[in-house]
Amino acid sequence: MSTANIVAVGASPLGRTDLPGRDLFSKALAEAFEELPDPADVVDGLYVGAQSERYENQIMQGTLMAEWAGLRNVPAERVEACAAAGALALKNAVRDVRAGVHDAVLACGVEKMTAGGTEGATNALGAAFERALEQRSGITAPATYALLAQRYLHETDATERDLAKIAVKNHRNAASNPRAMFQEAVDLETVMDAVDVAPPLKLYDCAPVTDGAAAVVVANDEVASDLLDREDAVRVAGVGSAANNLAVAERNLTYVEGANVAASTAYEDAGVDPADIDVAEVHDAFTVCEALLAEAAEFAPEGRGIETVEDPGDRSAGWTDVRINTSGGLKARGHPIGATGLLQAVEAYEQLTGRAGERQVTDADTALLINEGGVADAHTVATVLEAQ
Amino acid sequence: MTDTDSTTTGPLAPDDITADSPFTLPGFFDALAEGRLVAARCTECDEHMLPPRPACYGCGSRAVTIEEQPRTGEVISYTSVNRPPSAFDHLAPITVAVVELDSSARLTGRVDASLEDVTIGDRVELQVRDPESVDIDLDFDLSYEEDWPIHVFELV
Repeated sequence: MSTANIVAVGASPLGRTDLPGRDLFSKALAEAFEELPDPADVVDGLYVGAQSERYENQIMQGTLMAEWAGLRNVPAERVEACAAAGALALKNAVRDVRAGVHDAVLACGVEKMTAGGTEGATNALGAAFERALEQRSGITAPATYALLAQRYLHETDATERDLAKIAVKNHRNAASNPRAMFQEAVDLETVMDAVDVAPPLKLYDCAPVTDGAAAVVVANDEVASDLLDREDAVRVAGVGSAANNLAVAERNLTYVEGANVAASTAYEDAGVDPADIDVAEVHDAFTVCEALLAEAAEFAPEGRGIETVEDPGDRSAGWTDVRINTSGGLKARGHPIGATGLLQAVEAYEQLTGRAGERQVTDADTALLINEGGVADAHTVATVLEAQ
Repeated sequence: MTDTDSTTTGPLAPDDITADSPFTLPGFFDALAEGRLVAARCTECDEHMLPPRPACYGCGSRAVTIEEQPRTGEVISYTSVNRPPSAFDHLAPITVAVVELDSSARLTGRVDASLEDVTIGDRVELQVRDPESVDIDLDFDLSYEEDWPIHVFELV
């Protein structure tokens, strides 16, 4: 089995932009290949994560992104798992490189979420939920996660204030991330006083609707060593994924079992334990997710996931010293659905190669990414990355 | 496989999977329109699946049977959809809940009550409504959904 390495990353600006999806992709690609030969000289296939054709009425994203990258007659596929599409693109690229099918593959993700306004995004995202009983009840993304949050607050000691602290922490982290959509801190009272979206979730408990794209180049050792110095590559040490039920009602509302399976599989693949993870980007589409995923990743004891906001020394017994969502997370960095899993990889790449600037975690050698699609663990992809 | 008293306990045969079988969505909603809420029950591990499906997600067995469900249950979690998809705009804000029926089957649905009147542990009863009476935008329905009833919970 070949080793898969991330050798370059790029991302577009995140937020509400004037650029259509393909141009956002061009931005991400241009950054990733700034110091590399042409994409056609490096990669021989691509995967693109894209949640919905409803935003821009465009499918065939694999073909389109290949054209825009200057690639012709290569395997080029769109993958879809709602918000987990980006990590799924990465996983497929890693699988191909490991298997020797390709020497280098481009994993990319793109979503132009603002094209149809708030109504367009609400309707497009609604398609991620079970049709017969959930969609036909008028459910939305914030509401499905609110069902998890309400139960979590009922079963644990956590309060709405604890959830708000997660938003405050992630905005604080985003303030030192030049890639983030919201580069400003917010205070606890602002979060607590914000408008209800789906109780107990308020405005700042929810990741924003975001336009954006990301690109990650995955290559085997030979290509990696041809292209760059060893310390500039990050090894993809482990991957795992799992699908749980589609309907939120048919799952455990306070323990995301599928995410635990995905993370455990990735740990085993990489030969690491949760305690080995220095930095983690977990899917905080809503603040409660960060708490649930800290527990599913086995960083935190059951019911104590809300302590992601505390410094390692101040957390409950049984917690690891991991730093979570140094990028600002989906919450504050932004959440362009199909690109999100790859934006997690961008942050981990920068942390593990010492490029994270003010938010650099000292001696960060091992990272975990958790990217979810549908509500919570309807589909989860987990990835372990290691510095060289 | 056309009635809801089936004792099927083995894998469905291709001929069993028809639009009048409650193991398909049309058959499930036909039964619901007639006032019968049915779930699949796994005869191996007793998992209940709503709507019914041909295999158990709990243990993987295809030995499933159809079982009529109690219409009463308990709110497990709840929230409010303040900005629903456009087809449901006129119903906003929508109170929704995850309900565990007295059989242990679970499903999500609207609750015909304001958010302040609902809490975890509340008893609810399933009501079946004609889609026209709910007045959901007709464009929302797929061709095969037009006559499917809408389920709603009422506090009891």
